[in-house]
Amino acid sequence: MRSIKHFFLISCLKATELIEKKFYFKLSFSERLQLKVHKSMCKACALYGKQSAFIEKGISWQIKKEDLKVDIEALKTRIHQMLESK
Amino acid sequence: MTNELISKWVSLYTEDMFKWALRKTSSAEISEDLVQDTFMAATEKISSFKGDSTPKTWLFSILNNKIVDYYRKKVKQAVSLEDSVLSSVFDKTESWVNKRMPRDWSDDGGHLLDEEDFQKVLKHCLDALPEKWNLCVKLKYLTDKNGQEICQELNLTASNFWQIIHRAKLQLRDCIERNWFNN
Repeated sequence: MRSIKHFFLISCLKATELIEKKFYFKLSFSERLQLKVHKSMCKACALYGKQSAFIEKGISWQIKKEDLKVDIEALKTRIHQMLESK
Repeated sequence: MTNELISKWVSLYTEDMFKWALRKTSSAEISEDLVQDTFMAATEKISSFKGDSTPKTWLFSILNNKIVDYYRKKVKQAVSLEDSVLSSVFDKTESWVNKRMPRDWSDDGGHLLDEEDFQKVLKHCLDALPEKWNLCVKLKYLTDKNGQEICQELNLTASNFWQIIHRAKLQLRDCIERNWFNN
């Protein structure tokens, strides 16, 4: 009985690690189960999961913005000037 | 004459080179530097360009060398997987430390991302990460690569990679909550 309990119960540290792993890799069956059980009992980690997904979205926004922000023409001008001044 | 040629290439290829560098380095500032350095190097060794390849291929091979150099330097300064983030948010039983426990952000409408101020906080917190962590969390959105391929590119094992992501995200989340939601 004790070992079954141990199998299902993972710590918050481990749960948040699985939440992050899931963004990149497929979790194994037992990992998915452990995470599900943990989140159903732990409000903080359930919130963490939501917020982490939200932050992912935010990062992708930031990167799109960075792409738009760069002025290629200005960069060309700078390189032209640099080459002329050599 | 030489300068005219290079100058033409600057006009033609800067954009593609910059975008390529941006995908590889995730930083606009560094990409600009790398593209500039590439043209500098091209000017210096223009005599070695024999026309066997297209100018674009030749310039990209120089650029790729610059990118590799950049990574090499970075790996040398690589941050170790130190555990101070973990020990500041989790206690000895690996449960949340009460003060650092996630609170409800109550963004039910999901409009938070539209807010300029929130984006500023997010950027501030991203910039506050160690450089390598910052790169790791951004890479997924800069390339179309999956987790496994990203690891190969960074020369990291899979578990090392998601441990970095784990620490980076814990720190990011904590930083955002303290800078935005507690005000």
